[in-house]
Amino acid sequence: MDRIPILKFGNALLVTIQVDMHDRLATALEEDLTAKIVEYNAKGVLIDISALEIVDSFIGRMLDNIAAVSRILDADTVVVGMRPAVAITLVELGLSLTGVKTALNVERGMELIKARLRTTESEEDDVEQ
Amino acid sequence: MTADGKLWPIVTVPIENEADVVTVRQRAHRLAELLGFERQDQTRIATAVSELARNAFSYAGGGRAEFILDPTPMPQVFHVRISDKGPGIADVQTILDGQYRSKSGMGLGILGARRLMDHFKIESKPGKGTIVEVGHVLPDRAAAITRAKLGDASATLKRDSSSDPLEVLRQQNRELLQSLDEIRRKEEESKQLDQELSDTNRGVVALYAELDERAEQLRHASELKTKFLSNMSHEFRTPLNSVLALSRLLLDRIDGDLTPEQERQVGYIRRSAESLLELVNDLLDLAKVEAGKVDVKPSAFTVGELFGGLRGALKPLLTGHAVELIFDIPDKVPNLFTDEAKVTQILRNLISNALKFTEQGEVRVTASFDAAARRVNLSVRDTGIGIAPQDHRRIFEEFSQVDTKIQKRVKGTGLGLPLSRSLAELLGGELILESVLGQGSVFTLSIPPERGDPLRAQRAADNARKRVLLIDDDETFRYVMRQIISNEPRYEFLEAIDGDDGLKVAREQQPDVIILDLQMPTVDGFTVLQELGADSRTSVTPVIVSTSLNVNAELKARLPAGTRVISKNTISRENVSLFLRDATQGAS
Repeated sequence: MDRIPILKFGNALLVTIQVDMHDRLATALEEDLTAKIVEYNAKGVLIDISALEIVDSFIGRMLDNIAAVSRILDADTVVVGMRPAVAITLVELGLSLTGVKTALNVERGMELIKARLRTTESEEDDVEQ
Repeated sequence: MTADGKLWPIVTVPIENEADVVTVRQRAHRLAELLGFERQDQTRIATAVSELARNAFSYAGGGRAEFILDPTPMPQVFHVRISDKGPGIADVQTILDGQYRSKSGMGLGILGARRLMDHFKIESKPGKGTIVEVGHVLPDRAAAITRAKLGDASATLKRDSSSDPLEVLRQQNRELLQSLDEIRRKEEESKQLDQELSDTNRGVVALYAELDERAEQLRHASELKTKFLSNMSHEFRTPLNSVLALSRLLLDRIDGDLTPEQERQVGYIRRSAESLLELVNDLLDLAKVEAGKVDVKPSAFTVGELFGGLRGALKPLLTGHAVELIFDIPDKVPNLFTDEAKVTQILRNLISNALKFTEQGEVRVTASFDAAARRVNLSVRDTGIGIAPQDHRRIFEEFSQVDTKIQKRVKGTGLGLPLSRSLAELLGGELILESVLGQGSVFTLSIPPERGDPLRAQRAADNARKRVLLIDDDETFRYVMRQIISNEPRYEFLEAIDGDDGLKVAREQQPDVIILDLQMPTVDGFTVLQELGADSRTSVTPVIVSTSLNVNAELKARLPAGTRVISKNTISRENVSLFLRDATQGAS
């Protein structure tokens, strides 16, 4: 079975979904990502869905789940590059993806994660002081 | 949606696995695009279809998606009908009211799809499957879809699907799975073959063991036969000799006269006994050869000598024959160093056979030398009845005779050829037969020229002349002997004037034969004999004692047993030659 590649990017993980995933592939990605967050002690996850033309309820829930799990594992998830048609459809479908942070593109997504990292570092510094 | 007859079906896609769900929504997306829907609507339609297709797959285990265009209303409507043969939905209304929430969000799927599409219809009865039909109105601005346009659209769709990388990948996957299956089957086949082979192998091994056992039994039987033959032959010989001796007594009239009739009868008895004895002797020889009890006693001789001896021995057989026996004396055959008696026996056998089976013409004995194979070929060629090819093997078998009219007339034991062949093998050679029925046969004895001690054989080949050492203090006698011996080209003459000198020459020159005087000053002949016997270089050299003493039992007792003694009184050219020949051949 094929897998979606997960790249390590400093403290963050980058996932670029290039293909229309079937459900099992989506589930596998969820599992892989969780494992990698733990393995690399990642603080952020960037999921690029700019290639996706369809995000149905299953994939939407998968994104939601990833965000929830990574939050528990102390990592932020940012979904970037969602197409407007997809966003509208998701809303019409009744999926709000409340736990998922979104950004317009990868750069903004990275900034979001870096900002988060800076705050945590300064918080840690505070603790040390 | 109006009656089915007026609808234009576009394509039907089966939903059998997860990947099909993806295919269906991609088709929906692409069709929506081809039919002129806005981007937003493309996504809506694809998403709704995706929800419904997933439901069909997850809850009903599969189904199909039909894409249809309803051309009648204006604007036209794009329908997708997803049907399955699953268990159906118990309470559709609850779901549609938004009351139902499954863990996996089934309600959301159906509700969402209804919200995304313009038309929605669901039919579901428990146990009869579910049919969900959704439809979306084509955009106002777009021109109406004609049959032709729809045909183009579905053609484009087909092209897409054939170049769909995922589809290609799946196709390759399927092929790969098929190949794997194939390989697994082949592997099983080869495993089975392997099994069969190892079974066969076990069988072969068992057969080998059986064959070994058989061979052992045969060897044992053959040994028994040999033992039996040799014992029996011995037992036969004694009474036969008695019969022969007694019949000879009778024929010699020792016990009174015989009537002519009695004489004839006793003569028959005698001839029968003789032929029986011949048979027994052959049997004994054969048994000895097979038991390996026959030793090769090599000696040096020439083919000329061999043929000379044979001519003399076989002359009696020629009487009353219209057959000529011819010996071709060759000049390019080396001297032989092998068992002369056995070569003679073989050739005598072959020649007498040839004479037996030849009614007219000739029997020709020839010799040649094959330098490449280092073989001397002695051939006996006859112009007789010949031997049919199918009998070539049989005549070498014991007691077998070929049935011919001559065979019925002439007697034979059927042992001659087998014995000859065994003897030929004993000499390191073989007996070869070439024959054409009615034209004659050629038996060829092919043997190496040397057999036994190669050094000695080399010397015999290099230097056929025997060296004779005479040890005698009497100058006159030495002169006489020098005259006699030097005259013979076979011998080279050496002499020594007394015992000491003689011993010295004997050790240094190692002559082939020594003629020794007994009465000499200082070291006498007896002492010389002892000294010669004690030295390994001379202990095997034959010695002829020549003496002027009376040759009697008293004298012989003082000499080692078997010593040849020649009296000086009887010295003659023939006598000396005979003794020398006897000594040089017998000792080898």
